[in-house]
Amino acid sequence: MDIPIPQTVFYLFSFIMVAAAIMVITVRNPVYAALFLVLTFFSAAAIWLLLEAEFLAIVLVVVYVGAVMVLFLFVVMMLDINLAPLKEGFVSYLPVGIAVALLMAAEMLVVVWTRDRFGPEIYPVPAAAEAGTSNTAALGELLYTNFLLPFEIAGVILLVAIVSAVTLTLRKRSGVRSQSPSHQVRVKRDERVRLVDIASESPDGRSD
Amino acid sequence: MLAEYFPVLVFLGISTVIGVALVTLGGLLGPSNPDSEKLSPYECGFEAFEDTRMKFDVRYYLVAILFIIFDLEIAFFIPWAVALDEIGWLGFNAMLLFVALLIVGFVVEWKNGALEWE
Repeated sequence: MDIPIPQTVFYLFSFIMVAAAIMVITVRNPVYAALFLVLTFFSAAAIWLLLEAEFLAIVLVVVYVGAVMVLFLFVVMMLDINLAPLKEGFVSYLPVGIAVALLMAAEMLVVVWTRDRFGPEIYPVPAAAEAGTSNTAALGELLYTNFLLPFEIAGVILLVAIVSAVTLTLRKRSGVRSQSPSHQVRVKRDERVRLVDIASESPDGRSD
Repeated sequence: MLAEYFPVLVFLGISTVIGVALVTLGGLLGPSNPDSEKLSPYECGFEAFEDTRMKFDVRYYLVAILFIIFDLEIAFFIPWAVALDEIGWLGFNAMLLFVALLIVGFVVEWKNGALEWE
């Protein structure tokens, strides 16, 4: 009896992903939680690779594991986190938290539960791509022609993100002594040097 | 297609085994007799000035966020470059518009001084 490798790999990575996701919300130290979130993203990337979405899998690793999670770690490590104040108020926040969790679970169930919209009958497994097909090229052919409007909207959203990040976090600091290279280059001789005519003096102190 | 990624899987397995083996062997075989002085934070011979958890300048986040945005933009370039022959001038101009939008953001950053460190 031979073991089907894709199924084994799927169960391995989905087990790691669920376990790491549980660790994210149960572990005490926020730094460890962020690192477990990295592991979760990485396992999700492996599962996407199994779904033959190779480009998206690599982008998930590059963007989320490489950049977003580093930003998370920045935030987590640089805020001065005291664990005691974080835990107080747990009971008072609990009802709101449970309500939000139930609402999210209900929303997911609405999508997943109904058999006529979601399930293996509606979305059968597509035929495996043959060796040598480029998932990236297929994505590019669709994204920049059929899905042109969403693509440009993504550009606008990124623009909004830039403007809002600059507006929210940029603080002008007063009293900073900084160089201004353009000003330094444009400086004229007259602004820096003043030539003064001074009568020369003889060694015995008499002016000529 | 999945068969092409089998070497990556083998690589993942071997590197996991090596990583776990190195840590466990080091922990098992190395001498370990810590005391409170050895475990205390060490700062060039004198007592530590402050706690490890300290507030950093918000500018670090700003730089990181701006990096992520342009990182995403580069991610959009890759399928575009691969499929450039098929998508024709429409796709080419779509990317021009996309880049123009981000250049607006870049100008906003630059003119507001978000790229300066002071």
